[in-house]
Amino acid sequence: MIGCQTFRRHSRRDFLRIGGASLCGVSLLDMLRAQSQAAGAPAAKAKSMIVCWMAGGPPHTDMFDMKPDSPTDYRGEFKPIKSKLSGLDVCELMPKLAERADKFTIIRSITTMNQPGDHSRAPMYWLTGNPRLPSGTAEYPMYGSAAAKFRPGPAELPTFAVLGKIDHHIGNSIAGSFLGPAFNPFIFDPLEKKDDIAKMLAPQLELPAFTKNAELLKALDKRLRRQDGVDPLIAGLDAYQQTAFDMLRSPKLRAALDLSEESDETVARYKDHHLSKYRYPSGDPLHFLLARRLVEAGVPIVHFSLGYWDWHGENFVAGRQQIPMFDAGLSSLLDDLDERGLLDTTIVLALGEMGRKPKCGTEKNAGRDHWDYAQFVLAAGGGFKRGCIVGATDKLGEQVTDNFYKIESFGRTLYHLLGIDPDTTVYTPSNRPIRLIAEDAPLVKEALI
Amino acid sequence: MRHIHFLLLAAIITAGGTAARGQSPAESPRFSRHVVAVFSRLGCNSGSCHGAVQGKNGFRLSLFGARPEDDYDQIVRQASGRRVNLLDVEQSLLLLKATGRLPHGGGRRMEAGSLEYRVLRNWLAAGAVADDVGASQLVSLEVTPREQAARAVEKYELRLAAKFADGSTEDVTALASFASLDAGVATVDAVGRAQAQGVGDTALVARFRADPAVSLVVVAREGGGQLALPDPPSAIDGHILAKLRRLNLPPAELADDSTFLRRARLDVHRQLPTAEEVREFLADTSPDKRERKIDQLLAEPGHAALWTLKFCDLLKATDFGVYADGLDEQHEAPRFQAWIRARLAENTPYDEFAARILTATSREGRSLEEWSAEVVALAEGYATPRKDLDLYSRRQTLDAYWQRKEAVGVSGTLQVAHAFLGLRLECAQCHRHPHDVWQQDDLLSFANFFMGVRTVGFQGENDKRYPDESQLAKGFEQEGKKLAEEVKQLKEGRGKELAEKAKQAQPEINRLKNEIQKGGEAAALSEMQQQLDSLQTTIAENDQLQREIREKDQRSKLLTDAIPKRIVHSQIMHQAGDEKSPRFAKVTSPLGTQTSQTFRLPGEREPVALGEGEDPRAKVVEWLRRPDNPFFAKAIVNRVWAHYFGRGIVNPPDDLSPHNPATHPALLDDLWREFVAGGFDLRRLHRAILCSRTYQQSSLPAAASAADRANYACFYPRRLPAEVLLDVLNQATGTRENLDMRYDHWPDGMSTVEIPYKPRNGFVTFMLEQFGRPPRNSAVQCDCARQGDASLLQVLSLANHPRVRQKVADPSGRVASLIRETEDPQQRIEQLYLSVLSRLPDQSEYSACCEHLATTATPEEGLQAVLWSLLNTREFILQH
Repeated sequence: MIGCQTFRRHSRRDFLRIGGASLCGVSLLDMLRAQSQAAGAPAAKAKSMIVCWMAGGPPHTDMFDMKPDSPTDYRGEFKPIKSKLSGLDVCELMPKLAERADKFTIIRSITTMNQPGDHSRAPMYWLTGNPRLPSGTAEYPMYGSAAAKFRPGPAELPTFAVLGKIDHHIGNSIAGSFLGPAFNPFIFDPLEKKDDIAKMLAPQLELPAFTKNAELLKALDKRLRRQDGVDPLIAGLDAYQQTAFDMLRSPKLRAALDLSEESDETVARYKDHHLSKYRYPSGDPLHFLLARRLVEAGVPIVHFSLGYWDWHGENFVAGRQQIPMFDAGLSSLLDDLDERGLLDTTIVLALGEMGRKPKCGTEKNAGRDHWDYAQFVLAAGGGFKRGCIVGATDKLGEQVTDNFYKIESFGRTLYHLLGIDPDTTVYTPSNRPIRLIAEDAPLVKEALI
Repeated sequence: MRHIHFLLLAAIITAGGTAARGQSPAESPRFSRHVVAVFSRLGCNSGSCHGAVQGKNGFRLSLFGARPEDDYDQIVRQASGRRVNLLDVEQSLLLLKATGRLPHGGGRRMEAGSLEYRVLRNWLAAGAVADDVGASQLVSLEVTPREQAARAVEKYELRLAAKFADGSTEDVTALASFASLDAGVATVDAVGRAQAQGVGDTALVARFRADPAVSLVVVAREGGGQLALPDPPSAIDGHILAKLRRLNLPPAELADDSTFLRRARLDVHRQLPTAEEVREFLADTSPDKRERKIDQLLAEPGHAALWTLKFCDLLKATDFGVYADGLDEQHEAPRFQAWIRARLAENTPYDEFAARILTATSREGRSLEEWSAEVVALAEGYATPRKDLDLYSRRQTLDAYWQRKEAVGVSGTLQVAHAFLGLRLECAQCHRHPHDVWQQDDLLSFANFFMGVRTVGFQGENDKRYPDESQLAKGFEQEGKKLAEEVKQLKEGRGKELAEKAKQAQPEINRLKNEIQKGGEAAALSEMQQQLDSLQTTIAENDQLQREIREKDQRSKLLTDAIPKRIVHSQIMHQAGDEKSPRFAKVTSPLGTQTSQTFRLPGEREPVALGEGEDPRAKVVEWLRRPDNPFFAKAIVNRVWAHYFGRGIVNPPDDLSPHNPATHPALLDDLWREFVAGGFDLRRLHRAILCSRTYQQSSLPAAASAADRANYACFYPRRLPAEVLLDVLNQATGTRENLDMRYDHWPDGMSTVEIPYKPRNGFVTFMLEQFGRPPRNSAVQCDCARQGDASLLQVLSLANHPRVRQKVADPSGRVASLIRETEDPQQRIEQLYLSVLSRLPDQSEYSACCEHLATTATPEEGLQAVLWSLLNTREFILQH
């Protein structure tokens, strides 16, 4: 029948979303092009991405950008050791990563330059590729939300999974966007027995009882359905319900979250150097293992926070506790992914929102303050070079001296590897057409294979 | 330039066109008239291509061809003139790239030999001369036919005629681009050939250079014989049914009583009817029962609560905390809300409501001392219960509106335009609005009215700028410091002493109590009793003193911190301009800087004259109240309509643009003019809509009208808003949520609709986020900030969230109380249906339930399964 709902390829809403052919200067041609934009996007190198977010800002001059020849009040208490990659020295507390330096890239020249910086604003800049403020700017999507919209994974798995509880330390590094709640990060804490969302992913009743109840529902849900077709809102809800029930019945996601399937030896490897008490919140290295399992099950983007690295005081005390744990967890992840042949299609990132002040003094419990002008990014897999250093800082580790890139470049590089066009036009709620990453910026080509 | 847009509006109304025939634009093309038009038509100067802020690949055109002089310069002079080749025009980069003969990021935009090609080529061949831009300025743009009643698959042609400033007229159809606002009703191709597709009506928009013209098309349904329409019981229905007649679409039946009751209660009052209410209503046989129910609902306090939520969304009542101003969400948002609620409960006329917000000042003509007394009283009222809310709601004006982030200046103007005028002006900040009539100058001239409002927040010079306030604040600080000293002394002196005594007394008291219990001779007993009494007095004294100390401490903190900050940094007032707070609006963007020095209201041609030191906001309010104001009343009437029907008569409701035509213009006109004439009475408006047949229709359309989504052939189902859904979930399951906001002094038992900002309860915040609660971000001006879409997690959480399961199985919840109330399974099932879906089950539903109940181990389990199922039906989650 002419004119029925499904016939309307471009409804009024689409018109506004795609840009109003001719009113916004987009011809019908562009309208159709927009439809196939996903198909025409760059070929994806990476199918998945794991982000280990080091909230608070890890000290770059104590980890991957050490300056042993700087003055004593800059040097700090840790010594560098050689790594497998000639030219890259890393902190002595990271022997495992040192041995695997031929698997990852260290980028030393991307930084927010404090525009914006600081805990409240820098995280979203890094994680969306746009300077996004807590209020007063458009809510640009995180990479995972864009993936959920443009390259979603299997229907019965969340595309953008965020592990762990969101407390006030990491609250400003996770947020929804103007794409809408359907693409928001799916936040849950599988390691927490009491986490409601994790529980929501498994049927609360035994499967037979659940099935029986689902049948009862079907018998009782007959109203509001027209004989000759269904209202699109109702059809949408029906489709989602079908998927939801499939998700509950299928064991894929639950199995992925079930760590009892891993050997004790594996768990021990990931948890090596995990202490019972920490000066600062430490996070849980088992998130590395969960991330691996989720990626294996097909979840495209997994994000978790590993502790709080904002060490204004007792930087070296905390470092001795936290850095070896980070070393063990990340190394195990890289090993396992590589062994399973997944490293080439999985981006692994470890970074925070800023670095830490290279000048720390020589007091006993010296700390390092915020430093928005230099930091490190560890990037492996999914198209990033194996064994590479990009950029450099000055001899104190304070300013970038070589190969500076803006955060937009970082974001564009990630989208490029994920096969999403960062120039894709999306619409803010005020109908302003805006690109996924608003500013043009070059890719970080030195880091790419 | 700005006059053109109002003439455009006139052009749409005037009939006929005088398109010159014969002259093809390719014959002697002029740059700003024809060549720029080609760029617009092909999309070259759009925001995603060369019209972008940085252009593309080094080639930048003005957005939508707004600045032809710059375009000329770019093409002919920039890039060392490589873009044109006057000796061999076909080798010009301009042509080679656009036809794809050289690699072009935008692809092949035109074919060699096409009209567009010939326009460009001939212009180049004639020497690529610049033309007189003034002569080619657009005076009017007319599309014919202006309106067309078409039958399905019928084709017809649009023609576009442009009249220019030099008096010439041209047929510019070949240089225009075309689009349909609803391709399911009618499509239009690149050369203006329209074809009707499906039943409905829509607008076809033609664009020449930067200016649009609108042609309406109506496609009626074929056949079906004579349409039998009911008599329209109200004026609203008259309009609706008249249009349905034009479209030949039959309306739906009236909804049954259960459906009506549930729908009305949810829309008016955000609650489900109780089972008793449903039974009563079904049993009532009076012919006017629906009208009486509507009156009853409108009088209940929940109505004000629901609309408080809507207005707080619109006015963004939570964005507080500019730097060091002594304000925050916890204190201010509930006050804002309380003020709004008080006005709605009083049914304040809407114009007064707007006036009291827009002209707000903190002092409201009172002395500084009087105002500061209010500040102190408000600060002290922040306790359980929150006495400050009542106090604040009695204020004449809502100064909290101006104390939010981004509330003043140009960004504040955008908010005002959105909230009170239904206009989205953001695009016009930096450039000409792409799909509305506004220019930058319109926005900036309007913004000037709001530039004099003081910006809250700490500034170093505030002490000097506001010496009286600063003086007063210092006085408070000193008082506070003195009090703090007192507190310190008390704590270290008598306070410590008494605390020690009390501590020592306690075990002694216990001992004495035990002894007394044991009994004994009277004299000893009475002595012990005396000792006990005196010790207990000590305890009481200590408690009293500690309380005093705490209160003094709190007060001293308020006096040294929050109160002085508010007084010096947060007082809202109108200020004449100086260099610190500029008097005129200015916007700087990558596209340049623009300012306006006039005060001009949107849509008006002439600027407004202001007296010296006069608060210009009063002039805005005067304008809003004028009976011919084209936006103010229309916007609110349309929004109220959208609340009841899920879509505005102009949709989306915050886009009152001449390029977004109303589906029922005469209806909207009638509604808003009556609203104004009746004194801006919102309750009357609600009542009129609720009593209409259109509102009371069933959501099941007649078969012939199944595809209609814009002409009210039936009631369109929509998802319940987030807060309402949660409240309804609680009601249906007979449970509550502990919002966990005691620390913020929220009262117990607050419904979700009444929350002023996000609570701590994780389940509630999760559900609110999933179901689309708006973030109230000042960067977003859009009614769509509240999301009405469906999503997987919504469905998953209703089906399987542990908390939902808990609610279903709650030992003091719905199922448990049903089990207690009656033994009869039929009663139980009926009661469950009435409480959850507000209707009685039909026979097949009843059998299905009974069958299931027969298989479960306990009746609890069975009823819980039924309750769970009902919560997961479409009926429950939707307003239908």
